[in-house]
Amino acid sequence: MRRLAPWAAGVLAVAALPALARNTFFLHVCILVFMWTVLGAAWNVLGGFAGQVSFGHASLFGIGAYVTIILYLEAGIAPWWGIPLGGLAAAAASLPIGLICFRLRGPYFSLSTLAVAELVRLVALNWEWATNGPVGFLITALPPLSFLGHAVNWEAKAPFYAVAAALMLLALASTAWLRRSRLGAYLAAIRENEDAAEAVGIDTVRAKVLTLALSAFLAGAGGGFYAFYFRYIDPDAVLNIGLSMEMVFIAMVGGLGTVGGPLVGAVFLTTIGEAVRERFQVGHLIFYGLFMMLVIRFLPEGIWGRARRLLANARARVLLHGAARG
Amino acid sequence: MEAFVQSLVSGVLTGVLYAMIGIGLTVVFGVMRIINLAHGEMVMLGMFAAFWGRSLWHLDPFLSVLLWTPAMFVVGMLVYRFLLRKIIPGGELNTLLYTAGLSLLVANLALFAWTGDYRTINLPYALTPMRPFGIAVPIPAAIAFGVALAITAALWLFLSRTDMGRAIRATSQNAEAAVLMGIDVERVAVVTFGLGTALAGAAGVLLAPSLYLYPTVGELLIVKCFVIVVLGGLGSVPGAIAGGILLGVVESFGAVYVSTTYKDGIGYVIFLLVLLFRPSGLFGVGRS
Repeated sequence: MRRLAPWAAGVLAVAALPALARNTFFLHVCILVFMWTVLGAAWNVLGGFAGQVSFGHASLFGIGAYVTIILYLEAGIAPWWGIPLGGLAAAAASLPIGLICFRLRGPYFSLSTLAVAELVRLVALNWEWATNGPVGFLITALPPLSFLGHAVNWEAKAPFYAVAAALMLLALASTAWLRRSRLGAYLAAIRENEDAAEAVGIDTVRAKVLTLALSAFLAGAGGGFYAFYFRYIDPDAVLNIGLSMEMVFIAMVGGLGTVGGPLVGAVFLTTIGEAVRERFQVGHLIFYGLFMMLVIRFLPEGIWGRARRLLANARARVLLHGAARG
Repeated sequence: MEAFVQSLVSGVLTGVLYAMIGIGLTVVFGVMRIINLAHGEMVMLGMFAAFWGRSLWHLDPFLSVLLWTPAMFVVGMLVYRFLLRKIIPGGELNTLLYTAGLSLLVANLALFAWTGDYRTINLPYALTPMRPFGIAVPIPAAIAFGVALAITAALWLFLSRTDMGRAIRATSQNAEAAVLMGIDVERVAVVTFGLGTALAGAAGVLLAPSLYLYPTVGELLIVKCFVIVVLGGLGSVPGAIAGGILLGVVESFGAVYVSTTYKDGIGYVIFLLVLLFRPSGLFGVGRS
């Protein structure tokens, strides 16, 4: 019960936010924060919990975005069905990628994911019959939908806010589940010492491939949401290396291997990014790079990781104090 | 036949420059076990140094390489001393992520300062290529080839003949044994990082007249660079030379005989295959 209390409070807060602030720009930033939380959590599942640093998550994001938008434009399947289908497609695509790249370890794994992501980008750029090549896809109108008897207004932010919030909740809940599951324990063992994990009988390849599939589902669903919200994708927008890096940074700045880390990282980096973008148009990535370096140098456990530790210490001190007096 | 020789020649010409960049990455990896993701940005800085030297002071890029190579050496030493040194004990993955941050920072600072415009350096002697034996050889590429060969030869002499060079090779073979033999590993690391950066910068200066310059060009180069060092075996200098020339030739043949659009893809496929089946490099000299 006590474990569920912060979750209930979080859900209430997310539900109450749009009622408090009707400012469109504020809602836009919230939507971005939720989307980046999903992507940061997707990367964190693999990079933070299993210690497998991927530099190629943009490929999974891009696959989700392309599947969602192609299903809608070519087959008429509405994006709210397309988003989970995009996630499933990314999870399916992650199986061969995982079987190839997981034969390598450490930095070699990272480099191989980079190469795979570049290959996916080249394919999207050149298979024009499927992907429209560099031109990309544009959604001109979203399908009509009625919710509780009212037609949904796709020009407002509120419907997107609801979808993004649901996706974020899914991402955070699945990370929380993973942390407490048997698979999560396997991953911690793999992260700390892969040979030892194998020696005690953990099927490390299976554990890593499963985790990658979960990570890919979240990244692909995030990509589907991107296509749904921005209504335009091309290889440069959804498949570039920079996107993979941003996912890494959000998880890293928030705190590797924590449940709340990606949310904190996304709040922090997206707010800074949007503030800088408002003022200078370009340059928010300068701050991403800078924060990345500062965090690794001074705060390797991330903002949320450090905050949680300080909180736990304080609580222990209060308890000790109480015990000594009582 | 003529197309074959032509693409072989132009492949080797670019290959030697690729090799220079690769050597920079590979010596740094050998000594410090760092995969420097910001290496491509160092090449980019060299390219822009050549550009500004040309447009502000009318310096010929092939003369200014004499100025920029030592300058980049100092930049490298400073980067190591003030940014990287404290990070390295934190482990391979932390360093990898840290240099990813550095790469993003430098590329976007450059984007902020110099805008994303594509620039070129126009040299008067670049307009008509030489035609020895009927093969077109652009003059800037030929000069760059010569200078790159000279720099690589000088580096070879430095590594094999001087005390510092021997210390670098010893540290790269076995860092603990090197410490026990009285080598100041910290100093070796500073010099090696300076050397790697200087090589990247020099290659950038030499490449500048033949390529478009833009602040995010490093992204493209760093991936090529990984292909090169993995082909040759991480940590091996001769491997990086062979890998660089091989990639140059493969790309140039790929562009002629397969398609220009998949030119870069060929490199990545070879890269994955080598990583999977020969992780110590084609020549079996690298360490994984």
